[in-house]
Amino acid sequence: GENRSSVRTTADLVAYKNINDVPPPREMMIQVDQKNEAVLLPINGSMVPFHVAFIRTVSSQQDTNRNNYIRIIFNVPGTPFNPHDANSMKFQGSIYLKEASFRSKDSRHIGEVVQSIKALRRQVVSRESERAERAT
Amino acid sequence: MADGHQFNNITLGGRGGTNPGQMKIYSGGIIWKRQGGGKLIEVDKADIMGVTWMKVPRTNQLGVQIKDGLFYKFTGFRDQDVSNLTNFFQNTCGIAVEEKQLSVSGRNWGEVDLNGNMLAFMVGSKQAFEVSLADVSQTQLQGKNDVILEFHVDDTTGANEKDSLMEISFHIPNSNTQFVGDENRP
Repeated sequence: GENRSSVRTTADLVAYKNINDVPPPREMMIQVDQKNEAVLLPINGSMVPFHVAFIRTVSSQQDTNRNNYIRIIFNVPGTPFNPHDANSMKFQGSIYLKEASFRSKDSRHIGEVVQSIKALRRQVVSRESERAERAT
Repeated sequence: MADGHQFNNITLGGRGGTNPGQMKIYSGGIIWKRQGGGKLIEVDKADIMGVTWMKVPRTNQLGVQIKDGLFYKFTGFRDQDVSNLTNFFQNTCGIAVEEKQLSVSGRNWGEVDLNGNMLAFMVGSKQAFEVSLADVSQTQLQGKNDVILEFHVDDTTGANEKDSLMEISFHIPNSNTQFVGDENRP
């Protein structure tokens, strides 16, 4: 029906409810917080959390100077399987962060981050789609 | 203390990561000295355009915006420092302090606010992050709806971050009315 505002959707997921729940920054590097399903990105000297459910893809690359590049692409309206499209009315007028790319010298760290974001994302997305199925 | 307040463990944040140092806030303005030397920031009271407080994980962040558009962020103040310094700024320097809130919800949709050199991404009227346009080397419009910001790559500024932001892009749906007719500047 139309009146389903009480039903929680994926877009209602929240990484942290309180500021002090965010892990204190140790180093300015990408972190994955499994417990809170969050990815923390170092932006301008701060660690900025994003819920993994809003990430669409993550990939990495290495150049000839051993620089590692990691690219995180977020869900935006108009992309397939996007939770926002179901209730995009709610977010009309919003601007979306679509992509963030970082450079790192540490290939092992970047490899680990890519793997753990992918695994965590799979887990959360499948849980959320089961939840959505049960709700209908 | 005769004039002002001194703090020993205040971190300056920005592009390149964070640096610990010592800070003095007195009737003439502010001084921050990097621990071990190297960098000194001195701002005269007359050059301060605005001062903000923001609660960040486990501590407080002081934002100081100066006349040329630069925005310094100092982190490491206790809750009691916040009230003391708010009074100090107001009574001794005649500067009203504004409070900002940090968004930690993890959402990637919101609004973009421009203030001087700073571009802030706001989620539900709280700030998720901000970047300095002075650090942007290039902006590009991709398609009709995406704006890409590329950042200077600087290996020299004592950068102590392991992962450096190279690029971010924003998607501005057609339904957005904030930037109609000004698509080159998010």
